Amino acid sequence: MNTWIKVARYQLADRWVVVTGPWLILALGFLIALAWATSDPPLPGHAAYSGPAAIYIYLIGTGALAIARQLPFALALGVSRRSFYAGTALLAVAVAAVYGLALTVLQLIERATGGWGPNLYFFRVPYLLDGPWYLTFLTSFVGLALMFAWGMWFGIVYRRWNLPGLLAFLAAQALAVTAVLLIIGAYGWSSAGRFFTTLTIGGLTGLLAALAVLLLAGGYATMRRVTV
Amino acid sequence: MTPAISVAGLSRRYRGQLALDDVSFDLEPGSITGLLGRNGAGKTTLMRVVAGHEFASAGTVTVLGARPVENEQVLRQMVFVREDQTYPDFRVRQVVQAASWFYPNWSHQLAGALLDEFNLPLDRKVRKLSRGMRSAVGNVIGLAARAEVTLFDEPYAGLDPVSRQLFYDRLLADYAEHPRTVLLSTHLIDEAAGLFERVLVIDRGRIVLNTAADNLRGAATSVTGPAIAVAEFTAGRPVWVRRRIASQESAVVAGAMDETDRARAAALHLHLEPLTLQQLVVHVAGTPVGSLEERTSA
Repeated sequence: MNTWIKVARYQLADRWVVVTGPWLILALGFLIALAWATSDPPLPGHAAYSGPAAIYIYLIGTGALAIARQLPFALALGVSRRSFYAGTALLAVAVAAVYGLALTVLQLIERATGGWGPNLYFFRVPYLLDGPWYLTFLTSFVGLALMFAWGMWFGIVYRRWNLPGLLAFLAAQALAVTAVLLIIGAYGWSSAGRFFTTLTIGGLTGLLAALAVLLLAGGYATMRRVTV
Repeated sequence: MTPAISVAGLSRRYRGQLALDDVSFDLEPGSITGLLGRNGAGKTTLMRVVAGHEFASAGTVTVLGARPVENEQVLRQMVFVREDQTYPDFRVRQVVQAASWFYPNWSHQLAGALLDEFNLPLDRKVRKLSRGMRSAVGNVIGLAARAEVTLFDEPYAGLDPVSRQLFYDRLLADYAEHPRTVLLSTHLIDEAAGLFERVLVIDRGRIVLNTAADNLRGAATSVTGPAIAVAEFTAGRPVWVRRRIASQESAVVAGAMDETDRARAAALHLHLEPLTLQQLVVHVAGTPVGSLEERTSA
């Protein structure tokens, strides 16, 4: 456990990738959306600039770099693959929790200020991030952790098999998604549609959490035989 | 005593190419061993397997009595400084700081002194350093870690002579105070020869020489002089190689020279010179394995 925390700290030393980058990109997106909303005020209830997407996407990169760039030196310092992975996953969970909380607070401010003045929907996303604050937190937390974990797996695949591996990994994911769509097709789109329309955001968050656990497990399995 | 590093029947195969071929050796704790050999001989692969960075295809490696792979207990006591190390996007200060977190015996004082002596810019990104300076960063980590098992792979590639001397001096001084097991690979053999208590020579993935450094001092002698006199002197002795320019000949003779030999050589106007470690390695690593066994037994 002690080593895990040291690894998380080691990862945090690269501020740009873990802290500065994601918030800078979010701030930029927010400022642009704010400028847009100010110059062309949206009709009430009709304005959603889904801003937080940027930070989610950025965290895929963070996860990938946290492995691809940080792994070789960590191993040179006598960190085991297991500890390195656990420490990085620990960081992923901590980052997702703190950032999820920050996004929740920003959403509360957005509600309280009437959309930052010009009725801007930036931290509120219909259906996904639109419920009570604790659901917003939970969904953000799980979503961010999922993205980080996904990125980590990409990073490990890259470390093990380089570019060909990365392409194969992407192809495999595309194949998996296609398979899921085919299965849904076999059961009939109407029943699938019923499933998704009745799915609450809490239920969706549960599904995403299961997927995040799956990604972490897959990443670990890939990690065990990585060489540097 | 449990060997610090014990390797038995170790092989590593990459797609039909045998990088390590049935390698076996033991290193006693508290010794400095030179790992010598040509480019691509298998030095780095061997060290990577010992450090648990690479997996063995066959055979076993134990470090401090246990398998190193994913063994936190062993890994905590081992540092691996490699020439081709990929660093994170860190500044020199961050790299050294991060290293200090992972080693129980880390010496901040030694690290500080070394950073200073190597003239390393603390706030510069490691990727912006020259090759020599990057090597120096590795050396600071390798020495300040004071790890029980210290692996140096080409620790001074690109390093200037002053810094290299500094590295030798610091290594010896700190080693005397805090004994540990050091395995060091290098191509600057004569320069580092004074450090080694033991020498391992690897060629094409096989260990071709494994002996105490003392055994190698005077293990072979070059005899130079008039060809006729050389022929007379070397008659009946194992000769490794002869080189002739006009009437002058130079022959490398295996085995130690005693007083009688020296007197005889002087009488024949022959010049005797013991082979340096580097010359020995060139002979040992530059020839097929078969002929070598005859030599070491000679």
